Amino acid sequence: MARPRSSNCEEEDLMSANPSFPNTGTPSAQVESGKPLLLVDQIGIAFGGLKAVQGFSLNLPAGALYGLIGPNGAGKTTVFNLLTGVYQPDSGEMRLESRSLMGLKPHRIAAAGIARTFQNIRLFPGLSVLDNVRLAGQLRSSHGLFATLLRTPAHQAEEESIRNQALELLALFDLQDRANEPADSLAYGHQRHLEIVRALATGPKVLLLDEPAAGMNSQEKVELAQSIRKIRDRFHVSILLIEHDMGLVMEICERIVVLDHGVIISEGTPAMIQNDPKVIAAYLGTASEAV
Amino acid sequence: MTVTHSAPEIATSQSGPPSPRAGRRTSVWSGLWPLAVGIALAAVLHFVLPRLIGQYYSRIVMDIGIAMIMAVSLNIVNGMTGQFSIGHAGFMTLGGYAAALLTYYGSLSIWGTSLRHGGFLGVGEWMFAVSCLVGGLVAAGAGYVVGLPSLRLRGDYLAIVTLGFGEILRVVLQQTGKVIDDAEALKAAKWSQFFPPPVGGAVGFDGVPKYTDLFWVYTFVTITVVVAYRLKHSSLGRAMISIREDEIASQAMGVNIARNKVLAFVLAAFFAGAAGGLFAHEAGVILSPKDAGFQRSFDYVIMTVLGGRGSITGVMLAAVILTALPEMLRDFEQYRLIMYALLLIIMMLVRPQGLFGIHEVWQLWPGRGPRTAKKKT
Repeated sequence: MARPRSSNCEEEDLMSANPSFPNTGTPSAQVESGKPLLLVDQIGIAFGGLKAVQGFSLNLPAGALYGLIGPNGAGKTTVFNLLTGVYQPDSGEMRLESRSLMGLKPHRIAAAGIARTFQNIRLFPGLSVLDNVRLAGQLRSSHGLFATLLRTPAHQAEEESIRNQALELLALFDLQDRANEPADSLAYGHQRHLEIVRALATGPKVLLLDEPAAGMNSQEKVELAQSIRKIRDRFHVSILLIEHDMGLVMEICERIVVLDHGVIISEGTPAMIQNDPKVIAAYLGTASEAV
Repeated sequence: MTVTHSAPEIATSQSGPPSPRAGRRTSVWSGLWPLAVGIALAAVLHFVLPRLIGQYYSRIVMDIGIAMIMAVSLNIVNGMTGQFSIGHAGFMTLGGYAAALLTYYGSLSIWGTSLRHGGFLGVGEWMFAVSCLVGGLVAAGAGYVVGLPSLRLRGDYLAIVTLGFGEILRVVLQQTGKVIDDAEALKAAKWSQFFPPPVGGAVGFDGVPKYTDLFWVYTFVTITVVVAYRLKHSSLGRAMISIREDEIASQAMGVNIARNKVLAFVLAAFFAGAAGGLFAHEAGVILSPKDAGFQRSFDYVIMTVLGGRGSITGVMLAAVILTALPEMLRDFEQYRLIMYALLLIIMMLVRPQGLFGIHEVWQLWPGRGPRTAKKKT
């Protein structure tokens, strides 16, 4: 849910896209016409008297790369928690490929095709890097308890293919050589990569990234931006990402949704967002508030 | 013994990325050979061991086997899934009573006597083996019921529920009727005498035929260990372990937490129930309600803590130590619980992750562990 954070120095970047990013990918217009993959209509949730998110709507087409930004405590992570079923929305409707997601448990939503990463890394520390990723195999596993216990040939073949797929995915971030190490022995940046790989392993249609660049240096951020695009193109997933690094967001996102105090205050292309007075006010405060 | 026969499988699951088995054709045999080897070893134990070390020590080896089944199965709940159950002896006792009920009254009505019938692998022994499985199923049913609260409770609260299960069972068993002790009386018995079942009440279930031997105990040990090992190294087991590691992330990865938690309870209870059947038919044992109490449960919890959560070989070793130790220290029996407490405190200070932590014994050898295996693709 929305939470306070101590440092928040990226705001100035909002006005000027970070020049350190090579301007390769451009927001593509043809995505706009794409069929909606994830359709969110007016969802909201209140915790007691606190209306954390209200009337949140989103139309995420197939293959899109959207950003979700907003000041601290705006409700961005709460939106992710609503989309993944951690919280049940009080109102509204969510559909993935016209299938309703309302009332589904988190594991059903994951099976339906929404995967996520977490703002605070939530790997399985005691499991190996490989096991973190191949855990996703149980989603697609067609064999039950008895096939597992008897280790039938079909079951063995399936485990083998799960393992190979996991290793292929790990190669995405060059982690395949560390497959047998415990996940918590990885460096911080690698742990963030592993979380993305792990989410991809569930075979998602929509990938939600919660601050993927947090704690990375500028070089790592550039690489991450390229990786995110690569993932989108190669796995044909739609990506929605929360990020505080405005340079990164403006650089890679086709459209951006701005959230403040649980409501959408602006939505549009990066250029539109950068010049929206409401967004600027939300981040920097209005003249009257500033005094 | 079970360690050695599963070693070749480790090569596929623990070594570097390219699996040596990838190109090889798998067969039904590869799924069954560990069981076959284990059962063959059990038969060898059965015929050789008593001659080598005598009846008294063979008996201790048998107790060790039963403790191994209990500890390894409890480890599925406590170690792999990360629940905290301290009612495992309850499942054991329930299974034991169910199995003993079947063999005792079965023998009495078929052969007119509750004594042992037939020799090694004779009819009586098969009846006993099937009863143990039925005992396991009964316990598994109870495991399902006790597992349900685990969906809402965790940690200490769940522990209290499982503790309560054992205590409730103990009290209920005390209210049961007298054992019907001859065939004529059994024929004359009215249906009402079977509700509640005549299993001896507070004095215990005396006269159960004595079938348990090294062969059957280690056959069940083999099945338990193979199942636990395969579970641990399968998608299903990884799902269970992920629940222990982080429930929220586990759900986000599509793991059905409710199903897996209950499944862990059911599986563990099944093996505990089967172990109860073995225990009930052991010579010199009179199954009594107090076996369902928390003290016995605690012995098994200590084994899993000592062995390391999720380490199958670790808890097996702990089962050996904690079963053999009281026998070695017979003269100081009244200090047993003090010893256990001390042992636990020392373990917490010196090795909080248990003897082997999450690893198996072969992973502690240099060159075999996951930390050292770094082959390139």
